[in-house]
Amino acid sequence: MTAPAIRLRGVSRRFGALQALRDVSFDVMPGERRAVLGPNGAGKTTLFNTICGDFPPTSGSIELFDRDITRLRPHERTRLGIGRTYQTSLLFNGLSVLENLFIAVRGVRPNRFSFLRPSAGDGGMAKARDLADRMRLSHLIDAEVVNLSHGQRRQLEVGMAMAGDPRVLMLDEPAAGLSPGDRPELLRLLRELPRTLTLVLIEHDMDIALPAADIVTVMKDGEVVVEAPPDRIEDDPVVQAIYLGDGH
Amino acid sequence: MHSRAILATLVVLALLLALPWLLPQFLPANQAQFWTANILGRAIVFGIIAMSLTFLATYGGFISLAQMMVAGVAGYTLAIFVDGALPRIVGGWGYAAAIPLSLVAATVMGLVVGAISVRTRDIYLLMITLALAMGVFRFIETNIAWFNGYEGIRNVVGPTLFGLDFRNAFVFYHVALGTAAALFLGILYLVKTPFGLVLQGIRDNPRRVAALGYSVGLHRIAAFGVAGFIAGCGGVLSTIYNIGISPGSIGLGATVNILIMSVVGGLGHPAGAFIGSLIFTVFDTFAATIYDRDRFNTLIGLVFLVIVLVSPDGAIGIGAKLRRLLGAGRNHPRGAEGSRASQQQAGEETTP
Repeated sequence: MTAPAIRLRGVSRRFGALQALRDVSFDVMPGERRAVLGPNGAGKTTLFNTICGDFPPTSGSIELFDRDITRLRPHERTRLGIGRTYQTSLLFNGLSVLENLFIAVRGVRPNRFSFLRPSAGDGGMAKARDLADRMRLSHLIDAEVVNLSHGQRRQLEVGMAMAGDPRVLMLDEPAAGLSPGDRPELLRLLRELPRTLTLVLIEHDMDIALPAADIVTVMKDGEVVVEAPPDRIEDDPVVQAIYLGDGH
Repeated sequence: MHSRAILATLVVLALLLALPWLLPQFLPANQAQFWTANILGRAIVFGIIAMSLTFLATYGGFISLAQMMVAGVAGYTLAIFVDGALPRIVGGWGYAAAIPLSLVAATVMGLVVGAISVRTRDIYLLMITLALAMGVFRFIETNIAWFNGYEGIRNVVGPTLFGLDFRNAFVFYHVALGTAAALFLGILYLVKTPFGLVLQGIRDNPRRVAALGYSVGLHRIAAFGVAGFIAGCGGVLSTIYNIGISPGSIGLGATVNILIMSVVGGLGHPAGAFIGSLIFTVFDTFAATIYDRDRFNTLIGLVFLVIVLVSPDGAIGIGAKLRRLLGAGRNHPRGAEGSRASQQQAGEETTP
């Protein structure tokens, strides 16, 4: 039987008196597209941060392809195949688009720590250029990131998350702040992702989340309340109660 | 580097190389020698130490107050091991062996400072590096058997290089200038290597760097090691310049002076360290003559205050502003600006 890409068992996370995650358990199978929905404060980003290692769970376990990663540090998890983006773009503003992508490519390679400049034929640099092309940023390759538009920053975020050839890609609200005109481009990017890649997506915009997902997990108050295919989500009474209120 | 920046660097270097021959054309011989050794030579030596601080600040976003102490470790290592130093502590080593040993000692001390302070930033990094600097200062001051207490170690006269004596002002000036230029160009090379790019990534967004697969701690410690090597070069030259070393040269005053040089010059580019060092040295030397002997610190303080108020990016920031005003286009001292913008962003991100 195929091992799940991600397996969460009883994951809880507490910040002082606040129980941000409460006994979360689910499996994400390899190649699956999983959307995580829920109102603000539901614990979606905390779940992401716990899976990616920004902070360990208070209790429970996390496995990546059958390997227990519960206590591993973020960079160790990345090297095992997790790539991620953030709710607000976390980019290197003082560097160019190419330099951002190059760092991202090198991060999972054994020669990541080097005091030598990359040669003209460096594979990492070639891959960074290729990624810029795929993210429709090749015309901005030498531009400083601080000068990019919001939409271009989101595209670069996805490119950087993809740079390490992750087995699991985790996107935290990739459409946040995008203009309506930029959203179809994002959806196209998500649909073009190879099926060998497992995708976990937090997204408020149902028009992005539902077409991109195979399964949807809905969270509220740190708990998983619904897990269903996208076509059943909009009619689910629990989901309607969460988004529209009990009196709808 | 852009071609214009390369050209500007080469022009400045050529001018500095020729300066000892140009100065006697405008000044009496004794004054020309005074300017070569006591102003320019000294400014370059302390500029190297300040550049180690600026390197960490510009590209890593770390302000370390331990750099003068690290330079002092190199200076004391040289004075303890080299032949001819008084009093003789270990002795018996030639300069060809004692100088590399001193640089290794400074690099190791840099790595130790980096490892101890690896989890701190901002004011906490300042405090821990200051505490380390003062701890080593007190250790040296009180351990008379190894460091000869207040008096320190004298008679570190420097080597003879290809028959040229280091005590000659022209020789010392050119050796210091060559060292500074090599370190400066080395930094400009390093910041475009994977190590340098990741270091700037840590300045802009340490959390993202970790999420890309890098060990932030390892890169931070390595950066302090590189800065330790740079400070060590300055420490060796400063010890030879002063013909010895004493605890006062690494005390609180000296530590603060290096910080002032870096801030006045500007933390946006390594060149700022040398500009700041030159301004500091000129005022430190002539303030007592211009103003009042007892109040020369007031004059120095006022000048620094004016520079920092007019341009928070230091003297190098004034240059950039003038270029923009004259329409010469935007140039690249992006460290300080980029670092501020990204630190602000990082602050927003880490807010739960």
